Amino acid sequence: MIELDLKIINQLGLHARPAALIAQTAGNYKSTIGLTKDGVRVDAKSIMGVMMLAAEHGSVLHLTAEGADEQEAAQAIKTLFENKFNEEF
Amino acid sequence: MLVLKGIAASPGVAIGPAVLLPGEHVALSRQYISANEIPAETAKFDQATRQTLAELDECEHKVHDTLGAEYANLMSTHKLILQDPAFHNAILHKIEHEQLSAQAAILFTLQELAASFHKIEDPFFKERRNDLFDVGKRLANNLSGDKNNFLSSVQKPSLLVAHNLYPSDTINLQEHKILGFCTDVGGKTSHTALLAQSLNIPAVVGLSTASKDVHAGDTLIIDGENGLLVINPDRYTLSNYRQIQRDIKKTEALLKTINHLPVITQDGHPIKLFVNYDPRTDKKENKHLITDGLGLLRTEFIFMGTPVAPSEDEQYNVYLATAKRFDMRPVTIRLADLGADKKPDFPLDEFDQDENPFMGCRGIRLLLKNPELLRTQLRAIIRTACEVPAQLGILIPMVSSVEEVRHVRKAYNEILEEFAQAGKRPVNKIALGAMIEVPSAAIALDGMISDLDFISIGTNDLIQYLMAVDRVNQEVAHLYDPCHPAVARTLNLIIQTAHKRGKVVCICGEIASDTKMLPLLLGLNIDALSVTPRMFLRVKNNIRNSDFEHCTDLAQAALLMGSSEEIRNLIEQNNRHENS
Repeated sequence: MIELDLKIINQLGLHARPAALIAQTAGNYKSTIGLTKDGVRVDAKSIMGVMMLAAEHGSVLHLTAEGADEQEAAQAIKTLFENKFNEEF
Repeated sequence: MLVLKGIAASPGVAIGPAVLLPGEHVALSRQYISANEIPAETAKFDQATRQTLAELDECEHKVHDTLGAEYANLMSTHKLILQDPAFHNAILHKIEHEQLSAQAAILFTLQELAASFHKIEDPFFKERRNDLFDVGKRLANNLSGDKNNFLSSVQKPSLLVAHNLYPSDTINLQEHKILGFCTDVGGKTSHTALLAQSLNIPAVVGLSTASKDVHAGDTLIIDGENGLLVINPDRYTLSNYRQIQRDIKKTEALLKTINHLPVITQDGHPIKLFVNYDPRTDKKENKHLITDGLGLLRTEFIFMGTPVAPSEDEQYNVYLATAKRFDMRPVTIRLADLGADKKPDFPLDEFDQDENPFMGCRGIRLLLKNPELLRTQLRAIIRTACEVPAQLGILIPMVSSVEEVRHVRKAYNEILEEFAQAGKRPVNKIALGAMIEVPSAAIALDGMISDLDFISIGTNDLIQYLMAVDRVNQEVAHLYDPCHPAVARTLNLIIQTAHKRGKVVCICGEIASDTKMLPLLLGLNIDALSVTPRMFLRVKNNIRNSDFEHCTDLAQAALLMGSSEEIRNLIEQNNRHENS
């Protein structure tokens, strides 16, 4: 299993569009992928779950990925966070 | 006979029997199932999910073809929600472990999710809550009395009554013998209204109680001209409306014959008549219209539904295509009026803290706080002007003082200088104008008029700010009144101030297409009007039937009046006189 801490560095936080991006990306992998914030764990493949985290700019999410393609899955989601969900230059 | 007043969403008159769209309030037919029914119920749910997904796919394509990518994105969010494991698994869990019927499982899951969404204060999420319900209800409907089947079961031409009609429903209406529709909720600029206009279906929205007051089979008149719904009309009213329907048909035929004629009053006073243009809904028939040019290109759509601010190239391509589409006739491009109800997805400065967005950081205020956004748009416009012999105008939205105009002028001159250093110059000079929609700009226009090349009046917002009335707020919407003396006097002040300096004034709000208000606008000596393509020939015909001297007398009388009632009577009397 892979575990990672991801910080939200885009200004607007996890609003609808980044949540959709995460859910879409996670959906491409077979692994079970979870995101945890303040003790609440949601399925990263669920757009509504991710939105409900209501994670703001500066907050830290804990990512877990478990399965055959856990490496790639974790990396793909990490990249989304690092690229600020392609929102800022 | 019962008459309900709503909002005219799409013009025309439709008469026919009522059909009521079922399934808005899904009534539980059955809550619990027995253990041996679980597999069948699960299969039912899976089948409904597949059907819903197929429908959403189809809608996405249709919306994409009719309205373009921006609206199609809306449908893809719906697909994501439908396939969301949290949604899907919660429903399955309820069927399998709580032995709920698929229908009950869907409804309870919707309620649970909606409750957790409700805790989040963000408007983004509130909007998603509506999406969730759109998807959920569609899914529940596919279990039982299916909506689409319902529409295909409509045997004879009918008028559709619904509490709410989603864009995804509207797009299917024409193939199903629906002549017109009315809804309890919605506004003139909702996606549903825009779709109805582009499909040429008369529609009235915002009727509050229509879906309760109408019974299936009632005879209805949907008056999309005046925003009225008549339920079970008496014989007199019915024959009256039949006549109006015939007149509209006749007028439409007549209108086609005046396309090539000049826009001039009976006594020879010329008016410039422009169209408000939206590249996303430009239809073939629009291309036949002979216009004086494009009076208002709203550019917000380029900025919406995209994760990053649109690049200079992207904008340039839109402006270039528009200039070509209008064969190099005048094209007025309004700088992005973002903020208020138009919030882009990409991050902006000074944006999140708006408590009162219509009085907050929108239009030029927002652009000045995000100078790169302003400069990119100006660069794209200037580049277009360097490339082709277009006659471009730049319109600054939400101007409230002269300093804002000077800031834009300064940025504009700097960019012009950058282009000049690269050896590029606009083929034709670009005009810089202000959208006058804030009362302070109207009252102190004399202080900024010498910094401007032209004036446009955005009457929708100007009236809203003059009255301090939010048109979307149903409690006060009736106070929004174009006949208020303050409106005529403010328009007069703007036009007089501009004319003293030899500057032209164009009106590009809804008031410009209002037949009854036209004589007043002409009489106030307006130079130009900009209207939607659909209204273009009607307005042209009305101008050609007007007498400028008579309009001037009417306007002078109106300026002396002290109440909306007096002005309304004057206008109505004049209208009756014209028609007789």
